[in-house]
Amino acid sequence: MNHIILSIALFLRGSKEYKITKEFVRDILNNTSNPYKKYVDITIIFLIITSVFILIYEVKNPVPEWLDTYDIYFVSFVFSIEYCLRLWVHNDITERIVKEHKDSHFLQREFSPYSVFKEGLVEKVQYMFTPSALIDLLAIFPAYRPLRVLRIFVLFRVLKLLRYTKSINQFTEVLASKKFELLTLLFLLFFVVVTAGIALYVMEEHQNPNIESLFDAIYWALVTISTVGYGDISPVTTEGRTISIIVIVSGIAMISFATSVIVSAFSEKLSELKENRIIEQVNKSKSFLLICGYGQMAKMFLRHYGEEYKNYIILENSRERMEQARKDGYEAIYEDASRYETLSKFNVIHCEITILCLTASDVENIYITLNAKSIATNIRVIARVNDSSMESKFKHAGADHILMPNRVANTMIHTAISQPTMYKAIHAILTGKNIARIDEIRVYECDGLAGKSIDELAFKKAKLLFMGIQRKGEFLFNPLASTKIESGDVLLVMGRTISLEYFKSLYERNC
Amino acid sequence: MHRQKILLFGYGNHGKFIAQGLKEDGVAVQIIEEDKGRYEQALLDGFKSVSHIDVTKDDNLKALHPEKYTQLVCMMDDEHLNVFLTLSLRSLFKACYILSISDSIHTTKKLQMAGADKVIDMYEVSANKIHNILNRPIATKLLEEFVTHKNGIGFRELLIPNNSFLHGLMTDDIDLSKYGVLLVGMIDEELSHHFVFITAGVNHKLDTGDTIVCIGEEEKLDMFETLIEKKEVE
Repeated sequence: MNHIILSIALFLRGSKEYKITKEFVRDILNNTSNPYKKYVDITIIFLIITSVFILIYEVKNPVPEWLDTYDIYFVSFVFSIEYCLRLWVHNDITERIVKEHKDSHFLQREFSPYSVFKEGLVEKVQYMFTPSALIDLLAIFPAYRPLRVLRIFVLFRVLKLLRYTKSINQFTEVLASKKFELLTLLFLLFFVVVTAGIALYVMEEHQNPNIESLFDAIYWALVTISTVGYGDISPVTTEGRTISIIVIVSGIAMISFATSVIVSAFSEKLSELKENRIIEQVNKSKSFLLICGYGQMAKMFLRHYGEEYKNYIILENSRERMEQARKDGYEAIYEDASRYETLSKFNVIHCEITILCLTASDVENIYITLNAKSIATNIRVIARVNDSSMESKFKHAGADHILMPNRVANTMIHTAISQPTMYKAIHAILTGKNIARIDEIRVYECDGLAGKSIDELAFKKAKLLFMGIQRKGEFLFNPLASTKIESGDVLLVMGRTISLEYFKSLYERNC
Repeated sequence: MHRQKILLFGYGNHGKFIAQGLKEDGVAVQIIEEDKGRYEQALLDGFKSVSHIDVTKDDNLKALHPEKYTQLVCMMDDEHLNVFLTLSLRSLFKACYILSISDSIHTTKKLQMAGADKVIDMYEVSANKIHNILNRPIATKLLEEFVTHKNGIGFRELLIPNNSFLHGLMTDDIDLSKYGVLLVGMIDEELSHHFVFITAGVNHKLDTGDTIVCIGEEEKLDMFETLIEKKEVE
C-alpha cells in the first residue's frame, strides 16, 4: 500500500503537466493579476446573479423546466467543480509524501506516508472550515432536490460574491481595522440592552399585556435603543418610561459613536484604498509608465504628452508634490519608488513596465534603477542623470536609457548657435514634428519587409527618405540598393507620419 | 561658413559646456561673467576673451558693443538675472539676435516677453526626448549621434555655387545616394527663406544660391562639397 501511494506521488511530482495545470488553476483562482482571472470571475458572478433571479422569480411564477435544471444542476455543478479545485490547490500532499520518503530514506527509517498524508488532509479540512469555503459549500446545497428548504441556500451564492467583489472585501477590511472600538461598542450595547430589558421585565411584566417574557422586554430594549421604535411594545408605567428615557439617550450616544468610528476608519483608509485602486487599474493594462518624482521634467513631459500615454502612475515620496500632481489632474500616489515593496506591487510578469526616474537627485535615481532591475530585469528604465560624471554608474546599475537634461539642452543650444539655419530642421526632427520625424521601422520575421532588397521597397512612393539600417548594434548608413533586409533589422527613415503609416501598411502581413 | 562671433553671458552650468563646444567648432566666443570665481574658472579653462562685469548696468553692456556679434546668448544660472539681462539687451539693441535659456515654463514665457528671439527650455527639450525614447529608441539614439557628429555622420548645409551641375534639377529627380550623401531638405531662396524638408512632398527646383541640407559621412560630405562646384559630372 505504501508503495502504491509513493509511486502515485512520485508520478504526479514528476509529471510536468500536473504541475503546470495545478499552478495554472491556482493562479487563475487566486491571483488577481492574472489576466484571465476576470473571465472566471465574470462567469461565476453571472451564475450567481441568474440563480438569485430565478429564486425571486419562482416565488410568484412557475419556472420553466430547463431553467430549473440550469439552476439546480448546471450552476451547482460549476460551483462544486470550483469548490473541489479550490480544495485541490489549497496545498500539495504529493510534495509532502515525496519529501517524507526522502527524509526517511536519509534517516534509514521505515517510510510511512500516513502521518504526512494526515497532516495534508487536516490542512484541507481546516480550509474547509474557513468562512469562505463554508459559503462555497453551502452554495452547492440547493442542488439537493428533496429538501425544498435548501432553496434558501441560494442566498449563500450571493455571499459567494464576497470573494469576487473587491469593494466588499475592502469594507470588511476597513471595519476590521477598528475591531477594538466596534467590539467595545457592541459590548456596551449588549450590556445596556440586557440591563434595560431585565429592568422593564421586572417592572412591567404584570402591568403590561404586551410583555409576556424576558425576550419581549429585551426585544423592546433593542428596538428602542436603535431609535427604530416600532411601538408594538411600549412601557405603561412611570418606572418603565424612566427606563425608556435612559435607553433612548444612551442609544443616541451609541449610534453617533458607531457612526464616527466607521467614518473615521474610512477616512483613514480612503487614500490607501484609492491608491490600491489606481495600482490595480494600471496593472490590468498591457504596458504602462511609472514616473518617479513629480518635478519640472515630469511636469513638462506630462503637459506635452500626458494625453498620449493613458497608462501611467506618478510615484512621489513628498506628500506636497503628490497633492500638486493630483491637483494638476494626474494619477499620482504617495509612495517611495526606491522601496522594494512599492515596485513589487506592480504586475511585473504580465505587463511591460517602463520606469522614468525623474527625481532631481542622482542618488535617488540610481537607487530606483537598481531597485527596479533587482525586481525584474525586463523593466525598462529611463533615468535622468544630472551630473555627467554619474553616467557610468547608471550604466552599471542597468539603466536602459540615460537622459541628461544639461546635455540635451546643450546640444540644442549648440546647434542653434553654430548651425542657425539647420536649427529649425534639427529641432523639427528631434521633436518629431509632423513634417519630418525620423522614425524606425522594425522588421519582423513574418512581415513583408524581410528578404526584400532596398531597391524593391517603395520608399519613394510613400515619400520617405531612407537613411539606413541598424543591424546587430551597428548602423549602416545609406547601404547599397541591393542590400537585403533581414528580420531583426531596424530601418531608419525620415518623413511625415502619414507617409510612414502608408509605408507600413504596404508591407503589413498578418502573422 | 563665415566666422561667427558669439557674446556669451554666464559661465555657469550651461554656459561652460556651450563655450567649450563652440571653441572646438572654431567660433569666436566672448564670455561675460559676473561672478569672480566663475570668471577665474573660465580663464583657467583656457578662454582668452573673458570679461568680469556687472551686467545690470546699462553702460557696461553698451561698452561691450553687442551689435558687432552675430548672436547674444544669455545663459546666466540665475534665471531672474537672465530675464533681466535679456530685457536690457533687447531695449538697448533692437537689431541683435538674442538666444536665452530657460529652466521652467514660466521663465520661458517671461523671456519671450522680454524679447528673446529664441528661447530654449531645458525641460521641454528633455520631455521631448523622453517621448522620443519611449516611441523610437533606436532612431533617437542615432539622431543624437548625427547631431553631435559622434559616429562620423552628420548634417551639413551646402550652398549651391554658380555653374553647379545641381542648378536646374528638380528635387524629386536627383538621387545623391551614389555620392554617399542624402538630401534632407533645402532653403529655396526664390520662394521663401524657410527650410523645406524633402519629404514634405513638394517638388522644388534647385537654383544657384539655394542652400541644401545633406546628411552623410564627413568625408563623403567634403567630397560632395567640392563636387557640386563642377558643371557636369559623369
